[in-house]
Amino acid sequence: MKLVVLEDSKYEDLYPLTYMRPSFELRCGATSLLEKISHATGGDAAACFVRDWLAPAYKEHTGMAVNDLGQLEGDVLFVNGRLLMDGKVDLAGLGPDQALMSAGTLVAANVRAATLASVKADSIDATLAALTGKLAAQEADATLIDFPWLLIRHNAEMLEKDFDRLYADRAGVHGEMHEQSCILGDTGRVYIAPSAKIHPMVVLDATEGSIVIEEETKVFPHTRVEGPHYSGPTCQLVGGKIREACSFGPVCRVGGEVECAIIHGYSNKYHDGFLGHSYVCEWVNLGAMTTNSDLKNDYTSVSVYLRGELTDTGEQFLGSMIGDHTKTSIGTILNTGSMIGMMSNLVFSGELMPKTVPSFCWILNGRPTRGSGLKAMLETVRRSMGRRNVVMTDADEALIRHVNTMLKPELRAAIRKAFKR
Amino acid sequence: MADLQDVGARVKRATSEQLGVPVEQINDDSRFAVELGADSIKSIELVAAFEAEFDIEMEQDEALEVKNVGDAVRFIAKHLDEQGS
Repeated sequence: MKLVVLEDSKYEDLYPLTYMRPSFELRCGATSLLEKISHATGGDAAACFVRDWLAPAYKEHTGMAVNDLGQLEGDVLFVNGRLLMDGKVDLAGLGPDQALMSAGTLVAANVRAATLASVKADSIDATLAALTGKLAAQEADATLIDFPWLLIRHNAEMLEKDFDRLYADRAGVHGEMHEQSCILGDTGRVYIAPSAKIHPMVVLDATEGSIVIEEETKVFPHTRVEGPHYSGPTCQLVGGKIREACSFGPVCRVGGEVECAIIHGYSNKYHDGFLGHSYVCEWVNLGAMTTNSDLKNDYTSVSVYLRGELTDTGEQFLGSMIGDHTKTSIGTILNTGSMIGMMSNLVFSGELMPKTVPSFCWILNGRPTRGSGLKAMLETVRRSMGRRNVVMTDADEALIRHVNTMLKPELRAAIRKAFKR
Repeated sequence: MADLQDVGARVKRATSEQLGVPVEQINDDSRFAVELGADSIKSIELVAAFEAEFDIEMEQDEALEVKNVGDAVRFIAKHLDEQGS
């Protein structure tokens, strides 16, 4: 049975997190949505289908068969990449020519080779459409990540589930832990990788949840880490209060106060300042004292601008969604429910940042501008990636340029509105 | 062809608003950074103001290279002509 993961059209509701990655690469818990789906089906995905313009960069970085109709042979298990494997759906138990649906959305379909061969068309969308009526569909109680804040909502739960799945049978302190640091709670709910290093005066508090510190990660003095928690490889936790339900992907540097936040990878929140109930994409730098609000002073639910419309998320706690390569200046303050695009530069000038910041935008004195322009922004990307020994490939650059072109009208409109006399 | 006088007047008005310099003190030779006090942030905001004023989109790095008001007028007029405005 071949696993084929699908990115459906809902990726736009996951912006700004999905400008640079398929929806199934988003993190929730210790790993991505894709990793959990793959694990549940007993092996890596053989192929995936994503937006055309994302395919070249994604294929280059993963080596997967991307948008390859030739992979649609044999028995295939199609899975919606937004499916969160939280235990509600049993993919392995889905029988031949059976499908799971959730309010009209395909969750998964187990398709026999002969059935697939009879409907295979010249596009994945046409192929899937042709399968309708050929499969026995049943309604599933499935968690699909429809909006970015659902990743935050489910993060604590998935951290525990991922610990049970990936770390419980090898729990313990395998790396270097200074005698003047301590673990509170059950050490059976703590995994310190062999090459990780815990410095003196560190508290790993697993009383309320598990803690994972992965390879080559260092936890420096005066850091308190509260479980559930995941720090990926080669992170640095540089002091402060790392509170419950945080997930940090590889090569992150984190300090200050962080709560219920996902930092995808290769990003820095090194200094003091609060980050809460937020998702930070890759290559973001949050300048010193950058702080976001994640709770309104009247305790009502947080609204965000989604596709230009103010939308009630239903969440009492929600911070910021920050796109790839965005930087904030020292002292930046972000409102509750902020949606910050990619490759933007937020320069503090005494006021809250706008709740929505377009991509490729510099906010100066509270107003959107095009900043230094795309050419200079790409040079900044090369420099910032180079600091971590990562090279921006031609496919990466082409992807950034494509997104820039796609989003030009939005930025142009924002500038007109802000500067028109 | 763009009306250079009209473009000039609008450039000077936008410059005055963004940089806080009285419009009568702005002439074609006035340099944004030297005589008019535009630092890097103000320069970027000035480009945005010009784009909003004339409803054009300029290549940012080329626009930021323009040094004085007269050159800005000619630069913008060229854009207007190219866009058929």
